[in-house]
Amino acid sequence: MSRFFKAGSDSESETESSEDDEIIQQRPSAAPVQSRTFQFSDDEDDSRRIVRSAKDKRFDEMTNIIQQMKNHKQIKDMANVLNDFEALIKAADKAKKVIQEEGVPRFFIRCLFDLEEYANECWEDKEWRKSISKNNSKSFTSLRQKLKKYIREKYEKEVNDYKENPDHGDDDKRDETPAPQDEESEDEVDTPVKAPVKPKLPAPPVIKKQLPKSMDDDDDDDDDIDWDSSDDSVESDIDDEQFDTGKLTAEYFLKKSDSGTSKKEKKRKEPKQMKLEETDEEGDWEEVKGGAPLIMERPKMFGKDQEINVDAVLKKLYEITSARGKKGTDRNEQIELLKELREIAETNNLGLGIDVKLYFNIIGAIFDYNPNTLTSMRNDVWESCLSYLQTLLNILIDHPEVNVGEHIKEDDENLTEAPLYVRGCFLTLVEKMDEEFTKMLQSCDAHSTEYVERLQDERQVCDILEKTLRYLEIKGTTLEISRIYLKRIEHLYYKFDTSCVYTGDNEPKKEGTSEQTMDKLCKFLYTSETPDRLRTRAILCHIYHHALHNRWFQARDLMLMSHLQDNIGHSDIPTQLLYNRTLVQLGLCAFRQGNIRDAHNALVDIQSSNRAKELLAQGLLPNRQNERTPEQEKIEKRRLFPYHMHINLELLECVYLVSAMLLEIPFMAAHEMDVRRRMISKNFHHVMKMSERQTLIGPPESMREHVVAASKSMKTGDWKACKNFIINDKMNAKVWDLFFQPDKVRDMITVKIQEESLRTYLFTYSNVYDTLSLHTLAEMFELDMSVVHRIISKMIINEELMASLAEPTQTVIMHRTEPSRLQSLALQLSDKFLTLVENNERILEVKQGIYPFQNKRDRNDRQPGTSAAFQHHTQGVVEGEGYGPPTSKSVTNNQHWNRRNNKNYSRESRNY
Amino acid sequence: MATRKQRAPVQYVQLDGLVVLKLIKHCQEEGAGGTDLVQGVLLGLVVDNRLEITNCFPFPRHSEDQEDFNEVQYQMEMMRNLRHVNIDHLHVGWYQSTYFGTFINRPLIDSQYNYQDSIEESVVLIYDPLKTTQGFLSVKAYRLTPAMMKFHSENDFTTENITKHGMTFDKMFEEIPVVTKNSHLVNSLLCNLEEKDKEADKFNFLDLATSSMLQKNLRQLMECVDATTMDINKYLNCQRQIMRQQQAKQQYLQKRQQDNAMRAQRGEPPLPEEDLNKLFKPLQSPPRLDCLLYSGQIDNYCQQISSFSTQSLGKLFMAESLQNDGQSN
Repeated sequence: MSRFFKAGSDSESETESSEDDEIIQQRPSAAPVQSRTFQFSDDEDDSRRIVRSAKDKRFDEMTNIIQQMKNHKQIKDMANVLNDFEALIKAADKAKKVIQEEGVPRFFIRCLFDLEEYANECWEDKEWRKSISKNNSKSFTSLRQKLKKYIREKYEKEVNDYKENPDHGDDDKRDETPAPQDEESEDEVDTPVKAPVKPKLPAPPVIKKQLPKSMDDDDDDDDDIDWDSSDDSVESDIDDEQFDTGKLTAEYFLKKSDSGTSKKEKKRKEPKQMKLEETDEEGDWEEVKGGAPLIMERPKMFGKDQEINVDAVLKKLYEITSARGKKGTDRNEQIELLKELREIAETNNLGLGIDVKLYFNIIGAIFDYNPNTLTSMRNDVWESCLSYLQTLLNILIDHPEVNVGEHIKEDDENLTEAPLYVRGCFLTLVEKMDEEFTKMLQSCDAHSTEYVERLQDERQVCDILEKTLRYLEIKGTTLEISRIYLKRIEHLYYKFDTSCVYTGDNEPKKEGTSEQTMDKLCKFLYTSETPDRLRTRAILCHIYHHALHNRWFQARDLMLMSHLQDNIGHSDIPTQLLYNRTLVQLGLCAFRQGNIRDAHNALVDIQSSNRAKELLAQGLLPNRQNERTPEQEKIEKRRLFPYHMHINLELLECVYLVSAMLLEIPFMAAHEMDVRRRMISKNFHHVMKMSERQTLIGPPESMREHVVAASKSMKTGDWKACKNFIINDKMNAKVWDLFFQPDKVRDMITVKIQEESLRTYLFTYSNVYDTLSLHTLAEMFELDMSVVHRIISKMIINEELMASLAEPTQTVIMHRTEPSRLQSLALQLSDKFLTLVENNERILEVKQGIYPFQNKRDRNDRQPGTSAAFQHHTQGVVEGEGYGPPTSKSVTNNQHWNRRNNKNYSRESRNY
Repeated sequence: MATRKQRAPVQYVQLDGLVVLKLIKHCQEEGAGGTDLVQGVLLGLVVDNRLEITNCFPFPRHSEDQEDFNEVQYQMEMMRNLRHVNIDHLHVGWYQSTYFGTFINRPLIDSQYNYQDSIEESVVLIYDPLKTTQGFLSVKAYRLTPAMMKFHSENDFTTENITKHGMTFDKMFEEIPVVTKNSHLVNSLLCNLEEKDKEADKFNFLDLATSSMLQKNLRQLMECVDATTMDINKYLNCQRQIMRQQQAKQQYLQKRQQDNAMRAQRGEPPLPEEDLNKLFKPLQSPPRLDCLLYSGQIDNYCQQISSFSTQSLGKLFMAESLQNDGQSN
């Protein structure tokens, strides 16, 4: 108050005279605006005259509160702001009478309005809201609510009026401020826009009269409002400056150095900033201010008079790229800017170096376009990307003097003179492009035309790959060559090339088949110093390719020689998936070649888990035990192979089931009497069981039902029925026609069915025969005598069939050697005793201090002959939870497969 | 009591013909041809070194819903009644039928222990109805050995205790020879009957029905072996766990020592001793009595099989020579 005395003395004297008039005016009008003016004058009066009693005091009170609030607002201490607000409301209540008489004081309304704005502003600043303490945020929300309610209930109209016409308030403030409040002068100084003083100043004397009620309040309010507004503006100014200097750093200065243009830019940018703030979902306006201005400025790159040279372009480029990755950066805009820049550079003939550099940047920006790794590019963007890549590639190829590479440092770049050095790695771009391509394929529906359209780009992609390959062969390092080779291989291995399937040995080898390409590329990878991962993948692709083209022996030998089964579990998941694919393809190849057992072995692990789809990354299966987290699902989705690379799962299952049938049915027949039945294929048994459970078995419809029906007829040795179930129109359409030479496969299957049916027949019915004529058998199964002879001889040698062949009569003579019940029981008993003794021994070993549990498995192996043999035939598939690390089981399986194959391999190599 | 203990234990069991017949009758009537177990009480007297069993009565069969049935009450009542008609009423044991010699099990041991604990001379008679139908009366008397009694009284079937007592499967039971004694009158009646017997019926025992009997025996043997194997596996697992625990304990101790050494270097007081048993609770090793019983049972089966096969072989040889004789004639 003391201040007021000092400052106010002059003004008072002036005003007093006019007061009277004003009062008169004001009373009739009673508009809030006017009332405020009076209040202000009151303030001044108050300050001088202590006498003024309650009403003045109240206004003072309010102004004080408002001032405090302002301070608190500045430091965003919401708890205190809330307190202040509540105090203010109380004060306003006290001053009710005055207000009623005088109308609502302008400064109070302004305060409310400002506070509301402030609250809204803060509300939108999510980041800030997150960062503040709990207490603070609580009071903030309650403040916001109370404020809204308060305004709505009491002063809605006034605030709206004020909104429409806010300047009045400002004016008023000014009027008041200069005179009475020195301390506040700082604030006031900042508010520069205010209009000249109004005539309301003289009001004070009137106030005295009117005062008792409203005036006090009003005055106080007004003052406060003044401060608020001024403060705010100051704040925002400061903010702007801070951000500009702090965040933009180099760029900011760069602009300045660009002289005139930059300023213009800045101004243009500002309105856009505002828009951005509003549009930006995040509402992170502070950051936006920093990032946006740079990119947004579009219209002109360079000033008209500016000389466009390499440096200028580089600067500009740097300017543009430095906004990259920032929040709020419009990526589309950035691409456009870069394109424009490139055009400018081109028209100004700045040279190849700049051109190449800009191309790199444009392509990079295009790849940046999607911030989300999951979503794929838009088609048009993709197409432009492809075309840019091609142009760049052509430039690079046409101008061997241009050197590009990651190793070239930014400082060493030479964009102008003959041996050009440009930083940037084309290979990386190509790899990225390939990734994007896969992503695009993944994202569109595999059965839509869109997919086909996308797939047509494969040609272009391959083209680029090939060109890059040729380019890198000249320019690149070994590692780079390996990488591009692998990329090429990966685009080659799964494609079926009819030209490289041998139909006969005498046919001359054709040139330029994919086989030769694969061979060349892979061999390079095998011999050169490449990382293991590349080599592994190359081997797998090579095997896949071999298998796909029926080169069974090459494929198998490569598989065995690589010893991949041992350590595939340690490699990364995509490679494991590739391994699974390869194994499956190997199995299919074995099947086509009539190696049923190999086919079964290759497929058993994939099929037995019932998760073939997942193991081959051809789709996600619902996970029963534990739900995937969304991240996991995303990751797994990204691993999926695009549809055109899929292996037909039904074909796969059918091949597996048929080979299981061919193995299992005779096996079951042979071991019918065994106490503990062992199974070759659990999956097959499961399928059989499922069909047995059905109450009514109709004619087969699905592939599975066909196989089951075939198995049933095979059990009785009815090979014709079996064949008809396996090979018919339905099955042809579903499965067999998918093979390359379906007729060959069908013939093979027929022969196999005949042979295995014969074996089954012999196992099942040998006990009802004393002798069997080979002729009859040959007729029954429509096989050659020699074949029948061969099969039976083999069975006799393997001690599967207790019989002998009588050559002169061409008959099989059965020997009854079936063990009696008692004998088989005794055998079982001896088996049991064996385990008992073993267990006992182990106890003893523990007692002796040997720790023997490791060699347990060996012992189990040597025990039952059949099971060991069976175990040897299982082989490994990499499986794990969600493509995770392989389970221990699969590892052991791997070992088995390995062991067995080593044997096989050595055996076969001897044969050769 | 003291005097009785000093006396030489019962050397053999003298069985009255009446008892045998009652036993067979009980089994036949209630045992469903030997597949169900029947039990009863033996009455008799110890005379010198022999245990005379002069009478018996069956435990009545009662279904599960008759829970209020009091067996002890029934027995007491029965014995009182028998005393009234002046029959031996001293409780000297109990009998049980068996199916293919399956009798060595936990309940038998427990109840026999109880009998022997209260009535020292008591025995258990095991009657095999199947063998009887084949012409071999098979009644065997068993009792627990003193060692087994002592072992059982401790009710601690851990490995340690077994080794302490030196208990093995063949030391659990002792078989007491059984002698059947009839009155002279009965004997003369029997002689009379024998003469009337037809020739063919006499050689019933020469029947060579081997396989079914052996098969059944083998099956049971297998079950037993399986059970033993399981038991052994349990034990093995336990051993493994103990071993693991011991390793962990050792590691812990070593670590402790190192820590303490370090602390000593730094001049800090050593870590307080913690109760190792709390950290590593001693694992409960599984009781081994079952294993013993299974072994005993296996032993029993084996003896049966071997005796059966010996007899069968003897018969076979006899038959062979008879056949040869017939051919040569």
